[in-house]
Amino acid sequence: MVAAQASARPIATNEQKLELLKKVECFIFDCDGVIWLGDKVIEGVPETLDMLRGMGKKVFFVTNNSTKSRAGYMSKFQSLGLNVKAEEIYSSSYAAAAYLESINFNKKVYVIGETGILEELDLKGIRHVGGPGDADKKVTLKSGEFMEHDHDVGAVVVGFDRYVNYYKIQYATLCIRENPGCMFIATNRDAVTHLTDAQEWAGNGSMVGAIVGSTKREPIVVGKPSDFMLKNISASLGLRPDQIAMVGDRLDTDIMFGKNGGLATALVLSGVTTPEVLNSPDNKVHPDFVLNSLPDLLSVKEKAMVAA
Amino acid sequence: MKKATDRDKLEAFQQYDAWVFDLDGTLWKGSTLIPGAKEFIELLRYYNKKVFFVTNNATKSRATNAAKLTAMGINATQAEMYTSSFAAAAYLKAISFNKKAYVIGEEGLVEELTAVGVQCVGGPAHRGVEVDWSQAEPHVEVDPEVGAVVVGLDRYISYYKLQYATLCLANNDSCMFLACNTDARGHFSQAQEWAGAGTMVAALIGSSEREPMLLGKPASFILDHLCATHQVARDKTIVVGDRLDTDILWGIQNGAGTCCVLSGVTSEAQLLAESNKVHPKLYMSDIGDFLTIKNQIPSNCAIM
Repeated sequence: MVAAQASARPIATNEQKLELLKKVECFIFDCDGVIWLGDKVIEGVPETLDMLRGMGKKVFFVTNNSTKSRAGYMSKFQSLGLNVKAEEIYSSSYAAAAYLESINFNKKVYVIGETGILEELDLKGIRHVGGPGDADKKVTLKSGEFMEHDHDVGAVVVGFDRYVNYYKIQYATLCIRENPGCMFIATNRDAVTHLTDAQEWAGNGSMVGAIVGSTKREPIVVGKPSDFMLKNISASLGLRPDQIAMVGDRLDTDIMFGKNGGLATALVLSGVTTPEVLNSPDNKVHPDFVLNSLPDLLSVKEKAMVAA
Repeated sequence: MKKATDRDKLEAFQQYDAWVFDLDGTLWKGSTLIPGAKEFIELLRYYNKKVFFVTNNATKSRATNAAKLTAMGINATQAEMYTSSFAAAAYLKAISFNKKAYVIGEEGLVEELTAVGVQCVGGPAHRGVEVDWSQAEPHVEVDPEVGAVVVGLDRYISYYKLQYATLCLANNDSCMFLACNTDARGHFSQAQEWAGAGTMVAALIGSSEREPMLLGKPASFILDHLCATHQVARDKTIVVGDRLDTDILWGIQNGAGTCCVLSGVTSEAQLLAESNKVHPKLYMSDIGDFLTIKNQIPSNCAIM
């Protein structure tokens, strides 16, 4: 374990990079700022991923965006020239389905969200109602109006939904309040989401906020920064947390997330965090390793491949 | 705590000069008056007590609510009626607000804001407006003159409105975030409870990471405005309502008397539960229960 340093955190030396590659069996990557920047893959990343896979390492790509399923995200990766398998993508849509599977859930799910969640639920054989089908439903509130809801719904899953409306909010509220034991699950609570480069967009924090507002209940969060995803990955691979590394560009989410889960952590400076922010006395989050960018690891490729 | 005795009721009747009634669950349920409500209000007026009506529902204006109550049999004027939408408008007027307001809400909220001269963007005009996701670069343009986002119940809430409001709060200089009310639920139809304004407010807190200023119950604004405008003393004012976390807490936190009625959302079990820390001065099944003292009011009961 690298000793934590109180002051300036230097870029990892070759020895440190080899140490990282030796002890870590699984790498979890945040995508934006690590693998790609906007619509372009960071140069050297595909080679680095090949190197890691060649060493027998497992890799996962994490995204809190729930609108697509893992299979749905494949096309984005492929269009960027990245060779990935659907099972290497850990989207929050998958996290929701994986969570329900992990607790042997056998009722129905009411979904506020887009197709990604529905597809992942289908893959796990979990029945669902709601989703995009409720986008055009309206509530008129004539005197005596009564909304029916399915009493077999045992969980409400809330993911990012550009078609959120009052009907869905009310339906979800009825399920949570009236169906005994009904769970409230959120894929994530990010305040903003990056849908385009030019503007920031209200994120799932608002859809989840709406249901918190009407039920006064807090959700079980399955995406970052909750630890479900990390526990799910380590359990499925049979690895200890310190055999897994979280690689990201944000101190307060990625690195903090990794540290809370007991993972090794590596910060890359190819995204939002600058050396100034990292080394500032105000920063209390210290990653185990610092790289300029992920392809820094290529500098020890030969030695690492020999050792592997 | 036990239900109010005749002695409790008589004491309250004599002590309080200003009676502030919640509407839904207290004076009416859906479109039916609570039995005895009309008679008790008439009794109060006979003894020249001041009577006020306060609702956290922002969707209808004061004028509309006053007309509804009058049509049901309880005479009410606009000046006696307070809505959380009026509170938001009164606040903006009090601070000489001169920018535009982005409204997440229905007609009543826009009416009240317009009545004090605030130019509104959004509200019913943004009903059905969607982001065009088919464009190469979808984006939402916001009016740079919006200086406040005002949120009340909006049964036509949409992503477009949430995004517009979030951008205003993030990018417009000193843009305020006002919440008419944060009620989780309300009886908007007699048959069922419906998700309330708390939904829209919490959604916007979730995306903006900002906390709003609350204008409706249990914030102090309405009681402050009412007491100042109608010259009533706080300790001579009593709030009568069915919700512990708005009506009763509101009265307690603002130095007024409180009477909880069990004709709305709160049951006796909930009121008396160990976990409930909100204790009204008196409670009864419904407002009609006050009528048991009708013939016991002393002849020297002060008629102000």
